[in-house]
Amino acid sequence: VEAVLRRDRKATAEFVTLYADTVYAYIRHRLAPRIDLVDDLMQDIFLAAWQYLPRYRGESSLEGWLLGIARHKIEDHYRDRLRLTSAWGEDTEISYPGLTVFPEWDESLDNEAAQNRARRILTGLPEAYRLALLWRYWEQRSTREMAVATGKTRRV
Amino acid sequence: MDETVAEQWFKRVAEISAPQPIRASSRLKSRIYSALMRAEAAEGVLASLSECEQGGGELCWWEKLILITPMPDTARSLNHCHFCHARILGEQVEGAPVHWRGCPYAEFQK
Repeated sequence: VEAVLRRDRKATAEFVTLYADTVYAYIRHRLAPRIDLVDDLMQDIFLAAWQYLPRYRGESSLEGWLLGIARHKIEDHYRDRLRLTSAWGEDTEISYPGLTVFPEWDESLDNEAAQNRARRILTGLPEAYRLALLWRYWEQRSTREMAVATGKTRRV
Repeated sequence: MDETVAEQWFKRVAEISAPQPIRASSRLKSRIYSALMRAEAAEGVLASLSECEQGGGELCWWEKLILITPMPDTARSLNHCHFCHARILGEQVEGAPVHWRGCPYAEFQK
């Protein structure tokens, strides 16, 4: 960390080598199926890390600290997208069209094909619904937190 | 489908979608490194090449050449990678043919 703060180019390269894969796997998973957004977010995360590195006190691992920045960036992304999208109407009926492909979901979810199907279904949903589901279940945010963050009405 | 079952279903989907061992591409690592170097250079002078070497970093042949060439220290502290074709190859080509020891863009290919 000290070497990176001294603007040591070799230390900066090592910083990228050591942590890029971990952060990439994390945000790719969190942003799926919008993996086209991953590269830009990765750059944002590492630039933010560089900016905030002087505040790093070593109280947690550097990897954990970086993933914390990544988590905040992803939450910013969800919040911004949900605020922007027009498909998120208070009175809109939400249906689950893809769920019909899981007649025996308990058995069928335990394999890779099910994951792929889940991603396909998510891809087919309107963006607002997809983001809400990802935020709610992948990020494990409460509906109250999501409503506060997006300025929407909570409807249980 | 009532809400309880829906909740369980979505939680289960989230559980089984655990992160797979995925690696960032060498192009992405190259771009991130270049962006960081630009940000560092914009903030002030980079650590000199001799300081980097003393810190345990391995210099590439180009940096070694700069180190032994008579020039002001400020010139040795420039972001030399910005002018190197290895950066362009690394940023644009996955598995770029860059194999020099001490070159960050070559390291990202591994």
